[in-house]
Amino acid sequence: MSAILQEKETTLYLGPQHPGITGNMMIELKVTGDTIRKATTHVGYLHRGFEKLMEERLWMQCFPIVCRICVPEPDPNEENLARAIEELEGREVPERAKYIRVMMLELSRMATYLLWMGGQSGSAGLYTMPQWTVGDRDYIIDLFEELTGGRVYHMYIWPGGVRRDLPEGFEGRVRKVLDYLEQRLTDYDRLLFENAIFLRRAQGVGILDKDMAMEWGVVGPPLRGCGIAHDVRKDEPYEVYDQLDWEVITHEGSDVYSRAMVRRKEFEQSISIVRQVLDKMPSGPVHNPGPNPLKWRVPAGEAYVKTESARGEFGYYVVSDGSLKPRRVHVRGPAYVHGVSLLERMLVGANIADTSFIMNSLGTCPPEIER
Amino acid sequence: MSDTLQKEEQIKASINAAFRSAKVSIQRKGRIIVEFRGGILPAFASYLKEYLNFKHLSMISGVDWPEDNQFELVYHLWSYEQSIHVMVKVRLDREAAKTKTLTPLWEHAETYEREIHEMLGVEFEGHPNMRDFILEDWDDLPPMRRDFMTREYVDEVYEWRKGREDAQDVRQTIAEQYNTEVPNFNNEDK
Repeated sequence: MSAILQEKETTLYLGPQHPGITGNMMIELKVTGDTIRKATTHVGYLHRGFEKLMEERLWMQCFPIVCRICVPEPDPNEENLARAIEELEGREVPERAKYIRVMMLELSRMATYLLWMGGQSGSAGLYTMPQWTVGDRDYIIDLFEELTGGRVYHMYIWPGGVRRDLPEGFEGRVRKVLDYLEQRLTDYDRLLFENAIFLRRAQGVGILDKDMAMEWGVVGPPLRGCGIAHDVRKDEPYEVYDQLDWEVITHEGSDVYSRAMVRRKEFEQSISIVRQVLDKMPSGPVHNPGPNPLKWRVPAGEAYVKTESARGEFGYYVVSDGSLKPRRVHVRGPAYVHGVSLLERMLVGANIADTSFIMNSLGTCPPEIER
Repeated sequence: MSDTLQKEEQIKASINAAFRSAKVSIQRKGRIIVEFRGGILPAFASYLKEYLNFKHLSMISGVDWPEDNQFELVYHLWSYEQSIHVMVKVRLDREAAKTKTLTPLWEHAETYEREIHEMLGVEFEGHPNMRDFILEDWDDLPPMRRDFMTREYVDEVYEWRKGREDAQDVRQTIAEQYNTEVPNFNNEDK
């Protein structure tokens, strides 16, 4: 009886709304029993045509657009576009602005990891963790709000530096939040990272072939979770990452658990990086102003810049033809590779219940797949 | 300057020795641009991957140049060992844009090629799975072409919400629609 049932192949539509992602994306699963035989991704629910829109916007008008490309972590997008324009123009960035940018990027990484911790545990059925981490993420978001005026989308990093200097006493408030989060990590460990249910669900699940990981274009925590030490911040240091004391974190195992541990340790490392930034931050101007934004022509040329986001290499290819508007802005999000071709491959042979779990561990983000 | 660009110069020399038709230029430290003509792109990509260690395909971009009547495909490759990024540029005729797929070398090239096929209308010979990616049932001009006019398309396909077409006050229209007085939305009147 059970043999006959298992032979029969059924089609199962998972999503567009489901716990594995921030956004909408459908996965068509062919299953026998509860084992996945074939997975096909269907995206297109969040296509907003940003790349096309940017071709009809002034350079300055692109900044409110790019930060919306990835909803959970907008700052690497602003950083990339700003850095690409600076490269095309040859504009210098004041030293203090570089430190503030690193602080923003690391705080954004921590906020993303907190959201990810909630998603990862929520997709395993552990619902206390999301309540805690989303609540704690709000302390970081409050800092963003004070600094930039926006909670989620900041439009703070722009060509030539950052939009405004730190308010008075801001450094102390950042340190206070860092102290709180550091002490909270013990609770997270007890609730998630050392939780028997999580270990049982995560160890040995979602294995990524270590030898093939680089060929498949895997980046970020999934790559470092295979024990391969590559990080854009070290490979091609930008801003002031080469002046700070930190190491690339890796973890052997190639499964969901090792990816989780990479993120867990990077969270701790980000706290230390932000503290170093606050200690070393020089005084001085924070912006090197450019021309009037309405008459702002960026010299013709092209630039490829990349930033290490919380999910891996975020790349921007920007082409300018010397006019008021960009010729082409092409965005490479880490989820573009992780969430489509790699996911389809990794889901084969997995259990249906692990689908969201695996997607979360890869950091799938549909808004940046479609843009 | 010369010794800082040593690795780049070496790569430039080896590419020039192996492929005469490739035009190599060094953009800056860690960035090399290769302009490549002709249909032997897979062989060149395989040379870069196997012999020069450019193992990581970051992305494939498509840029439209209607003034030259050409599409430009840019293959972004990264070498982890040497920390160098190579942009391989291939120009295709806009009327009959066709090139060979790179899926045998990098499987994730499949997604990028599917998107470029959909957004620019470039054909990839030998692509295993050219189904719809983002746009379902699209039969208009591929939208990332420069001559696809977003504004005209929107005017044609969608209806403007009443009250928006001549910049008149939305509240007025809503009031007329419901046959009531103009509602007051000001916060201080609460």
